[in-house]
Amino acid sequence: MSAHATGGDTGGETLVNGAAARLGGFRAGAFPRHSPAALAPSSARTPAAPSQVKIGIRDVGKVFRTRGSDRPFTAVTGVDLDVREGEFLTLVGPSGCGKSTLLDLIAGLTAPTDGEILIDGRAVDGPGLDRGIVFQQYALLPWRTALANIEFGLEAKAVPRRERRERARHYLDLVGLAGFEHRYPHELSGGMRQRVAIARSLAFDPDVLLMDEPFAALDAQTRESLQEELLRVWEKTHKTVVFITHGIDEAVYLGQRVAVMTSRPGRIKEIVDVRFDSREGDLRADPVFGEYRHHVWSLLRNEVAAGREQERTVD
Amino acid sequence: MTDILAAPATGAARGDAPAPASPTTQTQTQTQTQTQIPAPAPVSPAAPESPKSPEILEAPESPETSRPARLAGLARLGRRVRLGPLVRRAPAVVLLAATWEMLPRTGAVDPVFVPPLSEVLRAWYDLLLGGQLLEHFQASLVRSLTGFGLAVVLAVPLGLAIGWYRPVADFLSPVLEIFRNTSAVALLPVFILILGLGEPSKIVFVFYACSWPILLNTVSGVRTVEPLLVRSARSLGLGPLSLFRKVILPAAVPTIFTGIRLAGASSILVLLFAEMVGAKAGLGYLVQDAQFSFRIPDMYAGIITISALGLLFNLLLLAVERRFSTWRTT
Ligand SMILES: Nc1ncnc2c1ncn2[C@@H]1O[C@H](COP(=O)(O)OP(=O)(O)OP(=O)(O)O)[C@@H](O)[C@H]1O
Ligand SMILES: [Mg+2]
Repeated sequence: MSAHATGGDTGGETLVNGAAARLGGFRAGAFPRHSPAALAPSSARTPAAPSQVKIGIRDVGKVFRTRGSDRPFTAVTGVDLDVREGEFLTLVGPSGCGKSTLLDLIAGLTAPTDGEILIDGRAVDGPGLDRGIVFQQYALLPWRTALANIEFGLEAKAVPRRERRERARHYLDLVGLAGFEHRYPHELSGGMRQRVAIARSLAFDPDVLLMDEPFAALDAQTRESLQEELLRVWEKTHKTVVFITHGIDEAVYLGQRVAVMTSRPGRIKEIVDVRFDSREGDLRADPVFGEYRHHVWSLLRNEVAAGREQERTVD
Repeated sequence: MTDILAAPATGAARGDAPAPASPTTQTQTQTQTQTQIPAPAPVSPAAPESPKSPEILEAPESPETSRPARLAGLARLGRRVRLGPLVRRAPAVVLLAATWEMLPRTGAVDPVFVPPLSEVLRAWYDLLLGGQLLEHFQASLVRSLTGFGLAVVLAVPLGLAIGWYRPVADFLSPVLEIFRNTSAVALLPVFILILGLGEPSKIVFVFYACSWPILLNTVSGVRTVEPLLVRSARSLGLGPLSLFRKVILPAAVPTIFTGIRLAGASSILVLLFAEMVGAKAGLGYLVQDAQFSFRIPDMYAGIITISALGLLFNLLLLAVERRFSTWRTT
């Protein structure tokens, strides 16, 4: 149960070494590594204590009751994970291990059957505007233009109309879609739609960004440029990001930490700290990148095999 | 005409147990109905088959005071209605008219039973001048519009409630299932028995027949809203009321409109039946009465008017529908 050990470690560090981390210059969070300019410990990028826990997942389990079967179906169980304030955490795991389920739980769209999820120390009891989700499919309203879709995220927040428009424009700009304000989703490419969805999640300024394989359906070039954009936005806004992906490269490239899940019922198998001396140049060609990549890959390989075996026995 | 014939099939297929693959079903229905749009359909100026139409659409409001009023009217109509498809379809209509004119004249068809078109048109003109046509037309229009309007006003909210609230659906489903499978025509004697031969029985009859397509399509429209949209709206902090207003309702509008158009077609269909069974006025009565008293040209004049009415109704509904779904691809 390395999962528990890792989760526990992190928690302990938070409580005991919080101050030390602050003084010792980003020991655990390694925040500045993504932007070479910010590598110096004096960087003003992280005003808050870096290893403060933002999302606390405590022994969380989710059991589904499926129709036509009285045997309950355990999607995730005993998940322990702390996501730190301002951290970029990527989550990988075999298909069907419960990643989306976990994200739904954090989002408050469903309630856990066991354990609890804390945001800033308070238990989650429903969706909230402190968390923004980007779903794997582009969940845009087809009858609204790009701009109106972004405004949609601000309507529940009672932002005045004028300001809604301004903010929507600003974020559309941010994701590089200025000039596409009045296009309907069906008039945009897949990558553009996903950018609108990201802009919408950013526009209402949530502390936490939950992303479920947002770039999975895109071609490699679009994906890479969106990855860059996401990192840029993240560096600018200091949001806490939980990013689910199937791509090991993507996980290692984006994440400060990569959480690897076991096959179903999913739990956290291991958390890999990713650290590079420099992100200059082609990071993916860096031998260190390859090592991380291989490590995560071997962790996953066993789980995927186990998952296959399990699925065969279920049928 | 294809419109009216093909549409009910879609409505029936949708049923009140919506197909699982919701978005596809919906789009298919939509594309289908859209492709069936008769001639004057200014959907998008992108239709490649009609190179003329964009100019026509973009033609400036010209002051056509010098020309005869009728021509000016036609030109305005053309601008709004798009002449491209109209021109494309005209040959078939002209051919039909010519055949109708020629066959009785050559004696291939008995002119007593099928008088030439020109005679029918003359009869139509006489009826128009005599005021009977208007009277019958008005009687039919008032009945079908009242029944249809009532159906829209009542069936849409009911359908929304059934689609949205599970308990309402569970409670009403069995009864609805029974009534749904009871033909309106079979119930006409009951309506007449209870409400008499006057207007109420006909209006209720039309209302009943119109309610089903609207109700069933509304229910399925609400039920087949993309769950992802609902989840995403909830994650954006929308409460149940705004969720319904801002997501469910707009998403269901196209499907609801399909139902409304089906209802529009059947409102005229069933009304004619009622008017043939027992009435003192109305286009159905006109046709039936003309046939009984062997005024054959009058009978055809009535039939033509009915076709025109159906066409008009459908066009009107299409225009309204388009107004509500400008965002659609097609
Ligand atoms: N609403 C539900 N009812 C029943 N079972 C569910 C439900 N949602 C998810 N599951 C089951 O829970 C398990 C985990 O699903 P989940 O969508 O979280 O997987 P995932 O890790 O996101 O997979 P993928 O990587 O393929 O997206 C799956 O086996 C799925 O069948
Ligand atoms: Mg998933």
